[in-house]
Amino acid sequence: MNETAIKFTNFHYGYINSDIILHNINLDVRKGSFTIISGPSGAGKTTLCKAMAGIIPYYYGGRYAGDVEVLGVTTKGKRVSDLAMRIGLMLDDYESQLVSLTAGEEIAFSLLNHGFAAEEVEARTKQVLMDVGLPGRENYQLDELSGGQRQRLLLASVLAVHPEVLVLDEPVSAMDPDGANALYKLLYKIYKEYNMTVVVVEHNINFLLPYVTDMIVMNKGRVAAQGFFEEAAAMTYAIPELRRNLPELWQVKLNLEQRFGISLRAWRKEAEALEELKEKFVGGALG
Amino acid sequence: MDMDNEQPEFIELPAAKDSHRWVAVTALLLAIGVILHTISPNIGGVTPNWTIAMYSITIGLTNPSLSRALGIGFIAGLTIVPSSKSAFPLGNVASEICGALTAAILVKAMFYMGLRDFRFRPFITGFFATVVSGGVFTFILKIILNLPLNVWTNAMLPVVMVVGGLNGVITQALFAPVQKLFFMQEGKRHE
Repeated sequence: MNETAIKFTNFHYGYINSDIILHNINLDVRKGSFTIISGPSGAGKTTLCKAMAGIIPYYYGGRYAGDVEVLGVTTKGKRVSDLAMRIGLMLDDYESQLVSLTAGEEIAFSLLNHGFAAEEVEARTKQVLMDVGLPGRENYQLDELSGGQRQRLLLASVLAVHPEVLVLDEPVSAMDPDGANALYKLLYKIYKEYNMTVVVVEHNINFLLPYVTDMIVMNKGRVAAQGFFEEAAAMTYAIPELRRNLPELWQVKLNLEQRFGISLRAWRKEAEALEELKEKFVGGALG
Repeated sequence: MDMDNEQPEFIELPAAKDSHRWVAVTALLLAIGVILHTISPNIGGVTPNWTIAMYSITIGLTNPSLSRALGIGFIAGLTIVPSSKSAFPLGNVASEICGALTAAILVKAMFYMGLRDFRFRPFITGFFATVVSGGVFTFILKIILNLPLNVWTNAMLPVVMVVGGLNGVITQALFAPVQKLFFMQEGKRHE
């Protein structure tokens, strides 16, 4: 588990005609981790995602320094399409990433561009549609699918090339809380099933608390905290302006720990928190 | 984080070139050209040739290779055949190929001479592409209709010149807006 999926070394980047957005990024995304990238708006989270897939700097252009390695290989000199076989990227504006008329064509698009045989394309299309909970929808027109279904379709089309790393930039920004929960639940199922590395940019990380293993917190183009979720959360809590980027439950937990000098368990669900709080505070030693 | 204030050595990269945008630009402009060619009225016996103006813009914007320009001219010629009001519509194919090649050669020549940002570059390409295209087309007509040479030189070529001027003005006027429309992201392609 200590292998690195994505490694940034002294990476700096600025878009053409813009200031430097990312400053001296040094970070590791562990292979097999479910990593969340959090931080205030304008912290460089999306830019960081794009750098993982190599479209920064090689598609957008601009100024950069340092290096990004994906699965042990530098992105330097790689074509974005080569990287796409190993790292799948899903951007927040999912509608703009759909290009075909039917669900089946949408998934087949990237596979055919990579030169897969027709039978393989068909088999994979069937499988990924099943994986994302849209079985048998190959011939559905895109406008026959709801917004949430289109988003799952996009996820399917990214998964179809069997990337080892999946990077998602605010995948639920256009969804209601139920939809968001459902998508993340699905994502977690796929993550477990295929042993993938998942990186998600999300500012409302309450949704992800049950699943996250690692966390990276960005602030003003720099890495403010990184590591296992529990450690990174504590580091983030130490910086007052970044506290609200933590899950609400953990803001409560860390606040209580600080105020009462106690140590609470690593809560992942409200029920766990409730149970421990009752145990410790209601009629307990601190009550 | 201790090296935060150290300025690293930056490597500058240009944005990736779009390899197929020219196809979309050309197709759209030619389609607009066909519509305008079909509906635009005849003013004093002279109609601007919108198609030539449109491929002059495309060629000015994308600086295609000569074989690509030949392709653009061929397609452009085919698009005018159905709506042509002349005695020999297929002559358009030959004349537009010549016109498109002229435009491409002129654009290359002006790039070579460092006139890339010369303000009246679109006018020059539009004008000469039209004159060559019109000259070829009317010469084909002269041969087919068996007209005397002085009808071509004294009656047809002056009209070609006038249309050329008109087209030059159209190309010039539309060049900047089209450039803005299709290439607005160049250089600031983020978010």
